[in-house]
Amino acid sequence: MEAIKNFPDSELVANIRNGQRMDESIKAIYRAYFDSLSWYIMNNSGSRQDAEDIFQEVVVAFIDLVQKNKFRGEATIKTFLFSLNRYSWLNELKRRKRALVREEKYEKGQDMVEMDIGQLIAEREGKAEVIKLVSQLGDTCRKILLLFYFENLSMKEILENMHYENEQVVRNKKYKCLRQLEQMLDENPALKQTLKNLLHG
Amino acid sequence: MDNSTPDIYEKLVQYLDGELSDDEKNAVEQQLSADSALKQTYDKLLLAKEAVRQFGLKEKVGGIHHHMMKELATPVKKISTAGKIIRYTITIAASVLLLISGYIAYDFFTLTSEKIFSSNFKPYNLSTVRDEGLNEDAFEKAYREKNYKLVLQLHESGAIRNQKNNFLCGIAALELNNNSKAINCFNEVIELNKKVELRELNDESEYYLFLSYLRNEDYDLALETMKSIRDNPNQLYKEKITWKLIQEVKLLKWR
Repeated sequence: MEAIKNFPDSELVANIRNGQRMDESIKAIYRAYFDSLSWYIMNNSGSRQDAEDIFQEVVVAFIDLVQKNKFRGEATIKTFLFSLNRYSWLNELKRRKRALVREEKYEKGQDMVEMDIGQLIAEREGKAEVIKLVSQLGDTCRKILLLFYFENLSMKEILENMHYENEQVVRNKKYKCLRQLEQMLDENPALKQTLKNLLHG
Repeated sequence: MDNSTPDIYEKLVQYLDGELSDDEKNAVEQQLSADSALKQTYDKLLLAKEAVRQFGLKEKVGGIHHHMMKELATPVKKISTAGKIIRYTITIAASVLLLISGYIAYDFFTLTSEKIFSSNFKPYNLSTVRDEGLNEDAFEKAYREKNYKLVLQLHESGAIRNQKNNFLCGIAALELNNNSKAINCFNEVIELNKKVELRELNDESEYYLFLSYLRNEDYDLALETMKSIRDNPNQLYKEKITWKLIQEVKLLKWR
């Protein structure tokens, strides 16, 4: 497999899948691919800011797919990221109703592995809505839920972070926060559909 | 809002968080397969968890993104002081190497026997060989007046062929670009000294003999003479036969 500096593809994927050395892995992806992926966008009607935004989305989508076992290593990380990048940018361009520039040139030889990226990643608008919804939770709720469901910390560890009286108080708070978020989602059917797509692909 | 009781809802959350025993887990799974409303409630919990995960992922990458944009925009900052020193040293070394290579290449292509001869030949000053108080003979007079042709004519017309006259003959021949004549004259000095077991003007003759061979492009003989001068610790011209001069003559020979 192709290596990112001292990170072979297999090691990088294993780290992301297990949630280990995440910062290091994400930085390795940036160092290895940001220049080439942003070059594509900036040579196809995009600005530097577009390139940065799309790359960020690509990295998020890649981690998400790896953690859901949807990246099986049939393509190299490089090929996969290029496809994600291209798909994301074309979608964005379509959204902006702009003409594509030099697309045909880029397509030749770039996508050696056929894959329907569109089925793997959700629309950026949908994702943005999800992020917005979670942002609307109070700071405490957001933090507890993130520590538990994203950082995978135990109640004891969260207690040390949040300075509550005991674990049961934290547990009750988390329960209420989750319920609050679930109710917020219930009021937004479109968002529920986006999340279903994200969850099941 | 779902219709589930707080108890069962709490159980669902515990099931979602993986906090139930195997028996409790099996019981919840049976309930989920039997009760579609409960299944819907559980699905909503899964979506809420997914929303948190998406938010966390975005936050994590966003934080690193900011840092990486700074790093990638200023790659120079990544180079340590030691790295800079090494880089500059390599640059300087490469430049010096390039200059040396250029110098050697220039030398190689522009070096000629005439060039080496000119930089090493100095006209001989007669006052150093003329004995004070003696009358100047025709040989010396012609040489002093730089009438080199006459010097050669006198040499060939039966004048006394002592070391001094032979030596002046050699120098006059070099002045007239007559290399073969110069070689003969200097060799005569050396042979004569051998016969009489003297070294009158011998060191000078060896040195100018080397120059004569050089300009005549007899490089093997030139190198042989140079070696003879270098190997003699008492040779007056020993210091003039430098390592560089030997290499230059060798270079001419190889070329």
